[in-house]
Amino acid sequence: MDVLSLFLSGFQEFSFGHIALVIYLYVIMDERGCRMLKKLPVLVFSPALASLIHVSLYNVFKVSGLVLYVVISVANVLMCTLWVRWGWRIGIGRALAAVCMAGVFQMAASVLSARLFSLPAADEDLQFMMVTGIYFTVVLGTAVLLQRKRFGSWFQLLLEEDDPHRIALLLSAMLVSMEVFFQLRVGIGSEYQLYYYMLVLVFAALLAVSVIHLAQRLDAVRKIETQREVIARQQLYEQELEAIRREARAFRHDYKNILAGLSAQAGAGELDALLTSLADLGAGFDQRVGEKIRMSTQIGNLRIPQVRGILLSKMAAMGEKGVDCRLEAIYPVERLGMDIWDFVRCLGILLDNSAEAALETKTPWVEVIVLAERNRLSLRVSNPYVGTIDPDKIWLEGYSTKGEGRGLGLPGYQRILADCPGVSCSTSWAAGIFVQELTVEDRL
Amino acid sequence: MIQIYLCDDEESVRHQLRTALEWKICMEDYDMKVVCAVSTAQELLEAVEDNSRSIYFLDVDLRDGEWDGFTLGRELRRRDPHGTLAYITSYGDLAWKTFQYHLEAFDYIVKDGEQTGAAVARCLEAVHTRLLHERRDPTEIFSLRTGEETRHVPLSDILFFETAPKSHHVFLHTADSRLDFLGNLNELESELGGRFVRVHRAYLAAWDKIEAVDWKEGRVRVGGRECLLSRAGKTRLKKK
Repeated sequence: MDVLSLFLSGFQEFSFGHIALVIYLYVIMDERGCRMLKKLPVLVFSPALASLIHVSLYNVFKVSGLVLYVVISVANVLMCTLWVRWGWRIGIGRALAAVCMAGVFQMAASVLSARLFSLPAADEDLQFMMVTGIYFTVVLGTAVLLQRKRFGSWFQLLLEEDDPHRIALLLSAMLVSMEVFFQLRVGIGSEYQLYYYMLVLVFAALLAVSVIHLAQRLDAVRKIETQREVIARQQLYEQELEAIRREARAFRHDYKNILAGLSAQAGAGELDALLTSLADLGAGFDQRVGEKIRMSTQIGNLRIPQVRGILLSKMAAMGEKGVDCRLEAIYPVERLGMDIWDFVRCLGILLDNSAEAALETKTPWVEVIVLAERNRLSLRVSNPYVGTIDPDKIWLEGYSTKGEGRGLGLPGYQRILADCPGVSCSTSWAAGIFVQELTVEDRL
Repeated sequence: MIQIYLCDDEESVRHQLRTALEWKICMEDYDMKVVCAVSTAQELLEAVEDNSRSIYFLDVDLRDGEWDGFTLGRELRRRDPHGTLAYITSYGDLAWKTFQYHLEAFDYIVKDGEQTGAAVARCLEAVHTRLLHERRDPTEIFSLRTGEETRHVPLSDILFFETAPKSHHVFLHTADSRLDFLGNLNELESELGGRFVRVHRAYLAAWDKIEAVDWKEGRVRVGGRECLLSRAGKTRLKKK
């Protein structure tokens, strides 16, 4: 009986910790939907295991104090990491980093509630309820605050850009120091208690701020890199234009000679020869400059440098890999009804996906059609593909026809577009051709 | 009778096309007639009858104020959604795919001296064959608008509609596409009547595409895909 009640009280305590952890995880993973709620029951194993360890080590092996605490903490972190890895289908490094981050926040809240518990109270039940109430208010309050500051998306960005294992290592060190802090509370004299709390709070807040700051800097660096690339491509484009100009001049020079030849033929009355020469002339022009002029007009119509830059660079990369890339943009694209960098990211994802899928076919090609109309911009990217497409799954996070770690594109694409009003995206995969369409309505 | 309209700013081209078309119609005894051959978009638009399911031969390189080949095609599509658009161009470097996808243009003909007439005649023959094959009843088509563009999906291709995560957006699912448009399921349900059934708050499925119902798990298989089934949806399914 004694063992059971020990187990149950331990389970209750650990469960509270886990609930707080899950609340923070929701924020950190930038999760909006209710999808994860379904997977929540599985997490019950974690507090159950923790209290089992607690009971068994304490009663059977008579382990107590710090060693017991360390064993349980490690078990908790491990269980939660596995759950996050399973639930969100991400790598172990990213899962560990997220759990450690959530752990730091949860510990900070726990320090507060532990202090409140140690205060003398007349009614223990009332005290318990009060403290639990305060604890969850604090947890929810800070979670909402973090959500407001878009902590989750910054954290995800950091994980995407940097090596997740390094961040996981760093954050687990933070978590360990937080745990040490937590243990230190016992030895703090009452006159320093206030400073102790301040220190804990400042520590947690600093960590949150530095994560956001780091991610913002990374984002800025990435933007600068893109801009640099845009400029580099712009120069290439100008060189191309210069080549066309030279070509046209050379042609003008030839033109006079050809005309002289033609008039000679006309004068001599050689009608058949004249017709052949005329046909050759047309074909020659089309071949030598026509195609280049066409391409540069289409590219020139993309008046937004960032958009032109990404298209040029992706098209160049495709050309190197042997993917035939065609572009049509009959009207100038001067403005967008959505954030330019969001659009650029979407375009990048679509082009990468297309090129990758097209490469598996015998004659790889990618076709990009951009149509700008009065209040509307439409983008259509298509490519051939081999194999089958499971329409129930292509939009799910982590799913890919090519196995683990790939196929992060489409869900990422959807995530970007979820925040853009006036944007709709359609997909089709008929007759071996995969088509993605993005329409931006400009509602002023 | 199917009416044919021509619009090209070159008198000689118009004449050439008209002769070739009339000759072909006469030879094959098509039920068609060239009713109008004009040089400007304005004249053409004045002559066109709405919803007449006509055939239009338009110059891509037309320049007439705000009108060019594409915008004229857009306007004609709006007035005559089921008409046939064919384009004539002087250069082979036309951005053809744009015309094909956004205007559902049927074909394009490159002006090539004497050969143009024969090309136009071939094109007319292809149009005629297609019209014979495609006598679809207009009520059998579902039209969805996204801004300027209207898309037509045969009703029989639609598996189900689903509420998209974004508010006011609806996904239309067919066997090989997922289209995103502005709308809501309640309106669609009343608009489409008895052919579709609301199996769930977020799903409107085609009756004839329902393959299997999993009463226990609350799922419906619609054309090989899975939809959720609510309690209200179950009652609706059981009624039939």
